[in-house]
Amino acid sequence: MAEVKTKQQVKLSLPAQADYVDVVRLTLYGIASRIGFSYEEIEDMKVAVSEACNNAVLYAYSQEGGVVDVIFDIGDHELELTIRDQGSSFMANDKFGHATGWHDKSLDDVQAGGLGFYLMQALMDDVSISSQDGRGTEVKMMKRVLAIGEAK
Amino acid sequence: MSHKFTAVTLNEADGIRVKLQGELDLAAAGEFRTMMEPLAVDPSTRLTLDLSELSYIDSTGIGILISILKVRHAEQAPFYVENVPPHVQKLFDVTGISKFLIPQR
Repeated sequence: MAEVKTKQQVKLSLPAQADYVDVVRLTLYGIASRIGFSYEEIEDMKVAVSEACNNAVLYAYSQEGGVVDVIFDIGDHELELTIRDQGSSFMANDKFGHATGWHDKSLDDVQAGGLGFYLMQALMDDVSISSQDGRGTEVKMMKRVLAIGEAK
Repeated sequence: MSHKFTAVTLNEADGIRVKLQGELDLAAAGEFRTMMEPLAVDPSTRLTLDLSELSYIDSTGIGILISILKVRHAEQAPFYVENVPPHVQKLFDVTGISKFLIPQR
Protein backbone atom coordinates (compact mmCIF):
# COMPACT_ATOMS: atom_id res chain seq x y z
CA MET A 1 0.00 0.00 0.00
CA ALA A 2 1.25 3.49 -0.80
CA GLU A 3 2.61 5.33 2.19
CA VAL A 4 0.16 7.81 3.58
CA LYS A 5 1.50 10.73 5.56
CA THR A 6 -0.78 10.68 8.52
CA LYS A 7 -1.60 13.97 10.15
CA GLN A 8 -4.45 13.04 12.41
CA GLN A 9 -6.46 10.05 13.42
CA VAL A 10 -10.07 9.44 14.40
CA LYS A 11 -11.12 6.12 15.92
CA LEU A 12 -14.59 4.72 16.26
CA SER A 13 -15.39 1.64 18.27
CA LEU A 14 -18.89 0.38 17.57
CA PRO A 15 -21.11 -2.56 18.44
CA ALA A 16 -20.97 -5.05 15.56
CA GLN A 17 -24.62 -4.40 14.71
CA ALA A 18 -26.25 -3.28 11.48
CA ASP A 19 -27.85 -0.29 13.20
CA TYR A 20 -24.46 1.31 13.81
CA VAL A 21 -23.07 1.21 10.28
CA ASP A 22 -24.73 4.51 9.39
CA VAL A 23 -22.75 6.14 12.21
CA VAL A 24 -19.61 5.21 10.27
CA ARG A 25 -21.04 6.82 7.12
CA LEU A 26 -21.94 10.01 8.96
CA THR A 27 -18.46 10.25 10.47
CA LEU A 28 -16.88 9.51 7.11
CA TYR A 29 -18.91 12.28 5.52
CA GLY A 30 -17.69 14.82 8.06
CA ILE A 31 -14.04 13.82 7.76
CA ALA A 32 -13.95 13.38 3.97
CA SER A 33 -15.60 16.71 3.21
CA ARG A 34 -13.03 18.43 5.44
CA ILE A 35 -10.20 16.84 3.39
CA GLY A 36 -11.79 18.15 0.20
CA PHE A 37 -13.26 15.05 -1.43
CA SER A 38 -16.04 15.59 -3.96
CA TYR A 39 -19.60 14.50 -3.31
CA GLU A 40 -19.15 11.56 -5.68
CA GLU A 41 -15.92 10.44 -4.02
CA ILE A 42 -17.58 10.59 -0.61
CA GLU A 43 -20.50 8.50 -1.87
CA ASP A 44 -18.00 5.92 -3.17
CA MET A 45 -16.19 5.77 0.16
CA LYS A 46 -19.45 5.51 2.09
CA VAL A 47 -20.31 2.33 0.21
CA ALA A 48 -16.80 0.87 0.49
CA VAL A 49 -16.52 1.40 4.25
CA SER A 50 -20.06 0.12 4.81
CA GLU A 51 -19.27 -3.05 2.89
CA ALA A 52 -16.33 -3.76 5.20
CA CYS A 53 -18.48 -3.03 8.27
CA ASN A 54 -21.31 -5.19 6.92
CA ASN A 55 -18.93 -8.12 6.65
CA ALA A 56 -17.83 -7.65 10.25
CA VAL A 57 -21.46 -7.39 11.41
CA LEU A 58 -22.57 -10.44 9.44
CA TYR A 59 -19.68 -12.83 9.72
CA ALA A 60 -17.20 -11.94 12.46
CA TYR A 61 -19.04 -12.85 15.63
CA SER A 62 -21.16 -15.83 16.50
CA GLN A 63 -22.69 -14.08 19.50
CA GLU A 64 -23.64 -10.59 20.56
CA GLY A 65 -21.19 -8.21 22.13
CA GLY A 66 -18.71 -8.02 19.26
CA VAL A 67 -17.02 -4.76 18.36
CA VAL A 68 -15.96 -3.20 15.07
CA ASP A 69 -13.17 -0.63 15.14
CA VAL A 70 -12.99 1.92 12.35
CA ILE A 71 -9.87 4.07 12.14
CA PHE A 72 -9.68 7.15 9.93
CA ASP A 73 -6.12 8.21 9.06
CA ILE A 74 -6.48 11.70 7.73
CA GLY A 75 -3.89 12.87 5.23
CA ASP A 76 -3.63 16.18 3.41
CA HIS A 77 -5.25 14.87 0.27
CA GLU A 78 -6.08 11.29 1.07
CA LEU A 79 -7.96 9.20 3.58
CA GLU A 80 -7.01 5.76 4.80
CA LEU A 81 -9.61 3.62 6.53
CA THR A 82 -9.01 0.57 8.68
CA ILE A 83 -11.94 -1.64 9.60
CA ARG A 84 -11.08 -4.27 12.18
CA ASP A 85 -12.90 -6.95 14.08
CA GLN A 86 -11.75 -9.52 16.62
CA GLY A 87 -14.11 -12.21 15.45
CA SER A 88 -13.50 -15.62 14.00
CA SER A 89 -12.15 -15.38 10.50
CA PHE A 90 -14.60 -15.99 7.71
CA MET A 91 -12.08 -16.81 5.00
CA ALA A 92 -12.09 -13.27 3.71
CA ASN A 93 -8.88 -13.82 1.78
CA ASP A 94 -10.54 -16.43 -0.32
CA LYS A 95 -13.59 -14.33 -1.18
CA PHE A 96 -11.46 -11.25 -1.79
CA GLY A 97 -9.50 -12.89 -4.57
CA HIS A 98 -12.58 -14.03 -6.45
CA ALA A 99 -14.73 -10.92 -6.24
CA THR A 100 -16.14 -9.97 -9.63
CA GLY A 101 -18.94 -7.88 -11.06
CA TRP A 102 -21.83 -9.20 -13.09
CA HIS A 103 -20.99 -7.67 -16.45
CA ASP A 104 -20.25 -10.96 -18.21
CA LYS A 105 -22.82 -13.07 -16.42
CA SER A 106 -26.35 -14.13 -17.19
CA LEU A 107 -29.07 -13.57 -14.60
CA ASP A 108 -29.05 -17.28 -13.74
CA ASP A 109 -25.32 -17.18 -12.97
CA VAL A 110 -25.39 -14.09 -10.78
CA GLN A 111 -24.67 -14.63 -7.08
CA ALA A 112 -24.93 -11.85 -4.54
CA GLY A 113 -22.01 -13.20 -2.48
CA GLY A 114 -18.68 -11.45 -2.93
CA LEU A 115 -20.28 -8.29 -4.30
CA GLY A 116 -19.22 -6.27 -1.25
CA PHE A 117 -15.55 -7.04 -1.82
CA TYR A 118 -15.90 -6.24 -5.48
CA LEU A 119 -17.40 -2.85 -4.67
CA MET A 120 -14.64 -2.01 -2.17
CA GLN A 121 -12.01 -2.66 -4.82
CA ALA A 122 -13.92 -0.82 -7.53
CA LEU A 123 -14.62 2.28 -5.45
CA MET A 124 -11.32 2.80 -3.59
CA ASP A 125 -7.81 3.41 -4.93
CA ASP A 126 -6.29 0.66 -2.80
CA VAL A 127 -7.75 -2.14 -0.67
CA SER A 128 -6.03 -4.87 1.30
CA ILE A 129 -7.37 -7.44 3.68
CA SER A 130 -5.84 -9.75 6.22
CA SER A 131 -7.75 -12.40 8.04
CA GLN A 132 -6.25 -14.67 10.66
CA ASP A 133 -8.03 -17.67 11.99
CA GLY A 134 -9.63 -16.80 15.31
CA ARG A 135 -7.97 -13.39 15.48
CA GLY A 136 -10.24 -11.34 13.33
CA THR A 137 -10.16 -9.53 10.04
CA GLU A 138 -8.60 -6.23 9.12
CA VAL A 139 -9.51 -4.34 5.96
CA LYS A 140 -7.46 -1.32 4.92
CA MET A 141 -8.62 0.97 2.15
CA MET A 142 -7.37 4.25 0.82
CA LYS A 143 -8.60 6.98 -1.49
CA ARG A 144 -6.92 10.12 -2.78
CA VAL A 145 -8.65 13.35 -3.68
CA LEU A 146 -8.85 13.06 -7.47
CA ALA A 147 -8.76 16.78 -8.17
CA ILE A 148 -5.29 16.94 -6.54
CA GLY A 149 -3.87 13.47 -6.98
CA GLU A 150 -4.13 13.32 -10.78
CA ALA A 151 -3.48 15.97 -13.37
CA LYS A 152 -6.25 16.06 -15.91
CA MET B 1 -31.75 14.91 6.34
CA SER B 2 -33.64 11.69 6.78
CA HIS B 3 -31.68 8.46 6.66
CA LYS B 4 -34.29 6.03 7.87
CA PHE B 5 -35.42 3.69 5.13
CA THR B 6 -39.08 3.45 4.17
CA ALA B 7 -40.84 1.64 1.36
CA VAL B 8 -44.36 2.76 0.45
CA THR B 9 -46.55 0.48 -1.67
CA LEU B 10 -48.98 2.19 -4.03
CA ASN B 11 -51.71 0.29 -5.86
CA GLU B 12 -52.02 2.01 -9.20
CA ALA B 13 -54.18 1.33 -12.24
CA ASP B 14 -51.33 -0.35 -14.11
CA GLY B 15 -49.84 -2.32 -11.22
CA ILE B 16 -47.98 -1.98 -7.97
CA ARG B 17 -45.44 0.77 -7.43
CA VAL B 18 -43.07 0.67 -4.47
CA LYS B 19 -41.45 3.96 -3.60
CA LEU B 20 -38.14 3.65 -1.74
CA GLN B 21 -36.90 6.45 0.49
CA GLY B 22 -33.75 6.85 2.55
CA GLU B 23 -30.89 4.39 3.00
CA LEU B 24 -31.33 0.78 1.93
CA ASP B 25 -28.50 -0.73 3.95
CA LEU B 26 -27.91 -3.84 6.03
CA ALA B 27 -30.11 -2.51 8.84
CA ALA B 28 -33.05 -1.99 6.48
CA ALA B 29 -32.53 -5.07 4.31
CA GLY B 30 -34.39 -7.72 6.32
CA GLU B 31 -37.65 -5.84 6.53
CA PHE B 32 -37.51 -4.76 2.89
CA ARG B 33 -36.82 -8.32 1.71
CA THR B 34 -39.77 -9.64 3.72
CA MET B 35 -42.02 -6.92 2.37
CA MET B 36 -41.02 -7.52 -1.25
CA GLU B 37 -41.28 -11.32 -1.27
CA PRO B 38 -45.07 -11.62 -1.72
CA LEU B 39 -45.06 -8.81 -4.29
CA ALA B 40 -42.25 -10.39 -6.28
CA VAL B 41 -43.84 -13.83 -6.53
CA ASP B 42 -47.17 -12.48 -7.82
CA PRO B 43 -46.92 -12.60 -11.63
CA SER B 44 -50.42 -11.20 -12.17
CA THR B 45 -49.41 -7.60 -11.59
CA ARG B 46 -46.75 -5.34 -12.98
CA LEU B 47 -44.18 -4.34 -10.35
CA THR B 48 -42.30 -1.04 -10.39
CA LEU B 49 -39.68 0.26 -7.96
CA ASP B 50 -39.38 4.04 -7.82
CA LEU B 51 -35.89 4.95 -6.58
CA SER B 52 -36.18 8.73 -6.87
CA GLU B 53 -35.75 9.23 -3.12
CA LEU B 54 -33.33 6.41 -2.44
CA SER B 55 -30.31 8.14 -0.93
CA TYR B 56 -28.06 5.12 -0.38
CA ILE B 57 -27.74 1.50 -1.44
CA ASP B 58 -24.96 -1.06 -1.03
CA SER B 59 -24.38 -4.71 -1.91
CA THR B 60 -27.08 -5.76 0.57
CA GLY B 61 -29.76 -3.79 -1.28
CA ILE B 62 -28.41 -4.69 -4.71
CA GLY B 63 -28.54 -8.35 -3.63
CA ILE B 64 -32.25 -7.96 -2.87
CA LEU B 65 -32.85 -6.36 -6.27
CA ILE B 66 -31.11 -9.28 -7.98
CA SER B 67 -33.31 -11.73 -6.01
CA ILE B 68 -36.42 -9.88 -7.18
CA LEU B 69 -35.12 -9.84 -10.75
CA LYS B 70 -34.56 -13.59 -10.65
CA VAL B 71 -38.05 -14.29 -9.31
CA ARG B 72 -39.73 -11.96 -11.82
CA HIS B 73 -37.68 -13.45 -14.66
CA ALA B 74 -38.66 -16.99 -13.66
CA GLU B 75 -42.33 -15.96 -13.49
CA GLN B 76 -42.00 -14.00 -16.75
CA ALA B 77 -43.57 -11.13 -14.86
CA PRO B 78 -43.00 -7.44 -15.66
CA PHE B 79 -40.58 -5.60 -13.36
CA TYR B 80 -39.33 -2.05 -13.73
CA VAL B 81 -36.93 0.20 -11.88
CA GLU B 82 -37.50 3.92 -12.33
CA ASN B 83 -35.96 7.27 -11.45
CA VAL B 84 -32.54 5.97 -10.44
CA PRO B 85 -30.47 8.76 -8.82
CA PRO B 86 -26.99 9.28 -10.38
CA HIS B 87 -24.95 7.90 -7.46
CA VAL B 88 -27.17 4.80 -7.31
CA GLN B 89 -26.92 4.39 -11.09
CA LYS B 90 -23.14 4.46 -10.76
CA LEU B 91 -23.26 1.49 -8.36
CA PHE B 92 -25.64 -0.33 -10.72
CA ASP B 93 -23.13 0.23 -13.53
CA VAL B 94 -20.10 -0.75 -11.43
CA THR B 95 -21.71 -4.00 -10.27
CA GLY B 96 -23.19 -4.80 -13.66
CA ILE B 97 -26.79 -5.11 -12.47
CA SER B 98 -27.73 -2.31 -14.92
CA LYS B 99 -28.00 -4.62 -17.88
CA PHE B 100 -30.73 -6.64 -16.11
CA LEU B 101 -32.81 -3.60 -15.19
CA ILE B 102 -35.39 -2.14 -17.54
CA PRO B 103 -35.08 1.58 -16.85
CA GLN B 104 -38.30 3.29 -17.92
CA ARG B 105 -41.64 2.36 -19.27
